Amino acid sequence: MSNETTIDLACENISKHFSDFTAVDNISFTIPKGSFFSILGPSGCGKTTLLRMLAGFEQPSSGDILIKQKSMVDVPPNKRPVNMVFQHLALFPTMNVEENIGYGLRRQSVPKNEIVERVAAVLDRVGLAGSGTKRVEQLSGGQRQRIALARCLVLNPTLLLLDEPLGALDLKLREQMKIELKLLQKEFGTTFVYITHDQSEALVMSDQIAVMNKGKFEQVGTPHELYYQPATAFVAGFVGDSNRWQGNIESADSATVLVSTSDGLSFKAKIMGDEAMSAGNRVEIFVRPEAISVNRTAPSTATDNQLVCQVETILFDGAKSQIIAVEEESGGKITVTLPQTSDFANLQQGDTLYLNWSTEQTLCFIDSSRGA
Amino acid sequence: MSSLRVTSPFKLGLWLLLAPLCLWLVLLIILPHLELLVFSFTEPEDGSFTFGFYQEFFLEPLYWRTFVRTAVMSIMATILTLLIAFPVAFYIAKMLKGRSKGIVFAMCLIPFWVSELVRTFGWMILLRESGVISNFLQWSGMSAGPVELLYTDATIMLGLVYTSMLFMVVPLVSTLDSLDDSYIEAGYDLGGTNWNVLREIVIPHAVPGIVSGCIIVFMLSLGNYLTPVLLGGKDSLWFTEQIYTQFITRFNWEQGSAFGLLLLLLSSLIVWAGLKLSGQSFAKTMG
Repeated sequence: MSNETTIDLACENISKHFSDFTAVDNISFTIPKGSFFSILGPSGCGKTTLLRMLAGFEQPSSGDILIKQKSMVDVPPNKRPVNMVFQHLALFPTMNVEENIGYGLRRQSVPKNEIVERVAAVLDRVGLAGSGTKRVEQLSGGQRQRIALARCLVLNPTLLLLDEPLGALDLKLREQMKIELKLLQKEFGTTFVYITHDQSEALVMSDQIAVMNKGKFEQVGTPHELYYQPATAFVAGFVGDSNRWQGNIESADSATVLVSTSDGLSFKAKIMGDEAMSAGNRVEIFVRPEAISVNRTAPSTATDNQLVCQVETILFDGAKSQIIAVEEESGGKITVTLPQTSDFANLQQGDTLYLNWSTEQTLCFIDSSRGA
Repeated sequence: MSSLRVTSPFKLGLWLLLAPLCLWLVLLIILPHLELLVFSFTEPEDGSFTFGFYQEFFLEPLYWRTFVRTAVMSIMATILTLLIAFPVAFYIAKMLKGRSKGIVFAMCLIPFWVSELVRTFGWMILLRESGVISNFLQWSGMSAGPVELLYTDATIMLGLVYTSMLFMVVPLVSTLDSLDDSYIEAGYDLGGTNWNVLREIVIPHAVPGIVSGCIIVFMLSLGNYLTPVLLGGKDSLWFTEQIYTQFITRFNWEQGSAFGLLLLLLSSLIVWAGLKLSGQSFAKTMG
């Protein structure tokens, strides 16, 4: 019970129904104080609705939201200790930077001279000291992000909600802002709830990630857990790149199965998920491209899974380059990471590759999409 | 030289496109006003120059009192229209979604399919001594005898506000429509009350719409003839009535011209003052 005080947010069985559509379906979770919690999911999975319920713009159809053990269900948005960074930031265009940041403080009837001090202090902390008199449209995309953050953080909220605020930025700036956001979160120690459909944003910044699909949490865990031990086929497919095959179980023991894919390939895979598996079940298997070891000569020792393939296409993308290879007999395709060693510098279409990987890295889930 | 050849057909096209507008401006606006200007300074007997008609305006209290009254009541009508139209426009632009939004907006428009004259007669049927409201008050026992609700300043105000409502609602709806909901939500999220959000976020955003609506309504009220004549009594004079009287009844075109120009001067002055006060420029409001 002692850790109760360190829980900033607890959601208990919250649901939200819109006429005949369920946006959020009976979700429960807790967020410890000072952590960076991300909700990751495809568009339309209900993550925005969930966030809007936390902010108070939507009422849950059932369930309770507790912030520091206090129920928030009947508290209007302007009375909640929660602030939100909007998708398009919503910096007030009729006010300058100072007035934008001071808006919330004026609402709390903070004395004028204290407002000036606190605004200057928070501008300094986000690295924009002295830009208080600038107009919002004079700022660059990255500066606006920081002002939007400062406008919330100056109020010392218990919870800061972020609704995909990096979506509008270009790639370079987004990469930079990811790191900056994480550092600011550490520095301020505020609990962040970040929603995004971009797995890389979630993986880089979060302490905990909840993967959301069709109104439910598929899995809640650290980025590491989600990546290496996905609980469901959806998580395995959504987080990170994967080779994905559908097939039938040929034989099964307690931890591993032998699967023949619809391409005609055959793999040994590790049983994942809660469901029991036996011969004949339709399953999906996932193998990460970077988990596959690639050789130009046949390896001397046998491994769990091995394929002899021809290079079909090389997708050059610097360090993230990939090879699409074809298994000769079956015509099945597989994507692997292009090793950056000198062996592969002159790799060409049609070259033979020897691929091998372990059972541990071959994740097998019951195929729920077609009904087993 | 080649640039000349390229631009000249374009210029001809531009002038052709502008021609109707120019004709309209010159023939219907500029020429008549120049004519009025000449008339108002000309002695009809011998065609000599005179200030007499402007002098007449300032010496005769009825004239300038009507003038001031018209201005004050037009400003009041504008403010009243704004106060009533703003919540209506906010409701249409921000609270309603999809089909119902279109329906309510159309409902604001429908009364304007009927001519202003007929609408004003509608008010007379309701408000006159033997009218609907008077009869209702007698029937329900709230009044012993017939009640005359017409021919007062309040009735004129009612008529002016009613006539101008749409012209305030339309610009307000279009500016409020352009205010993204997230600004309002951010206003609440950061701790603002309804009043804070209205004062600091909604109104500053809506200023161009408010100003352009006010200009239109003020101009319409100041230049209105029908409503004050039909709904106002003998004591409720409107300056446009004075102009009409000079031109038509007394056949004193020179005096009428002077009054017309004074009214133009007045409206320009008040609009200018209004723009200065709200810190808006004419181009910004109309753009």
